[in-house]
Amino acid sequence: MGVMRLGYVHAKVTDLAEAKRHYGYTLGLKPMGEEPGRAFFKGWDEWDHHSLVLEEGGVGLTKMGYKVARPEDLDVYEKRAANFGCITQRMSRGENPEVSDGVRILLPSEHVLELYHDMTLVGTEVGSVNPEVFPRHLLGVGAPHIDHLLVTTDDVKLMDRFFKEVLDFYAVERVCTSLEDDADYIGTWMSTGMRPHDIALIDGPQGKLHHFAFGLKDWSEVLRAGQLFSMDDVSVDIGPTQHGITRGETIYFFDPSGNRNEVFAGGYEAFPDRPTVTWTVDQLGKGIFYIDRELNERFTTVLT
Amino acid sequence: MHTLTALPTGTEIPCLPGETVLAAMVRSGFLIRFGCRRGGCGVCTVRLLDGSMRYERPVTETALDERASGVWLACRAVPVSDVTVQLRPDDRLRLVSPLLRNAARAAYLSRT
Repeated sequence: MGVMRLGYVHAKVTDLAEAKRHYGYTLGLKPMGEEPGRAFFKGWDEWDHHSLVLEEGGVGLTKMGYKVARPEDLDVYEKRAANFGCITQRMSRGENPEVSDGVRILLPSEHVLELYHDMTLVGTEVGSVNPEVFPRHLLGVGAPHIDHLLVTTDDVKLMDRFFKEVLDFYAVERVCTSLEDDADYIGTWMSTGMRPHDIALIDGPQGKLHHFAFGLKDWSEVLRAGQLFSMDDVSVDIGPTQHGITRGETIYFFDPSGNRNEVFAGGYEAFPDRPTVTWTVDQLGKGIFYIDRELNERFTTVLT
Repeated sequence: MHTLTALPTGTEIPCLPGETVLAAMVRSGFLIRFGCRRGGCGVCTVRLLDGSMRYERPVTETALDERASGVWLACRAVPVSDVTVQLRPDDRLRLVSPLLRNAARAAYLSRT
């Protein structure tokens, strides 16, 4: 089965108290403990211990964690990543609190990706026996789960190849400079399961974060999130609107440190045999913001 | 109440106590290029040429360091005197709402 999903995002924040209020009270993630300078959160429908680690000091992405199905998957991916030319490192159980041993890969894009096969199981907020359809005690948006992230790199084509050849992802959609076979990629949206993307990469500086996203159920929940952002004075980038790419419904917004977040709903079911969708670069605006059909000035410039 | 003078146009914008440079511009119907509005992305920089400002909310270490060379984030910088700032060479002050500009001017004149 290989890589199953994005398991955790580990992000830096300038002020931990403000960040905790944003992710805990406004987004309604469940606080899962703290250690000095760090806080852990999970969504209500997630069963592993945490999906978000906040670390005080700076902004941007420290690392991302993807969960693999079996311990032996780690050996396969470690070898493939090394053969691809990446620096890899074994991590021991507990090096990340509540997380199993794993493999850390320094990606060609200069992001750090960790693979792990186990995390302390705490269960969803509705449990696994005769569960209710949602928990009644949610705060704010009440985001059920983390969904994907978008990062920038100066070589999208190389990263597309990395995720395909090393981690068995497949490209669901791409933005290309032409429809010819030798076209360059401006962006790629890649899946490891049935989500329209588990990671996306767009052209930009190495090692930067564009956003990480929380999945919501539908369009009405995206609107409700927007209403809560107004109540809590969250800085909204754009939305509610819809992406052409993935067809997802969305709001981009910023956490109190300036890291971009997204609430994301809808989108189609993807399969590995689905033909990769190509967007030509002249239609990039429509691909990203299907309704506005033009990029706002922040989309390509505001990164952390 | 302080006066914010934005160069190169020399446009004068009233600032309420505790109001950031960007918030004052927006309230007066003007915009400059901005990003996260939370002191993190570094897009909305201006250069302080005269007067004093301070940060009252968190910003990145980089932004704190850049104060030494006169560079401030408009979304977080709060004038504590009359100030003159220079916009980035690739930016400009855009009047996006004459209605708000006139309202802010009227409010300013009624106070003074």
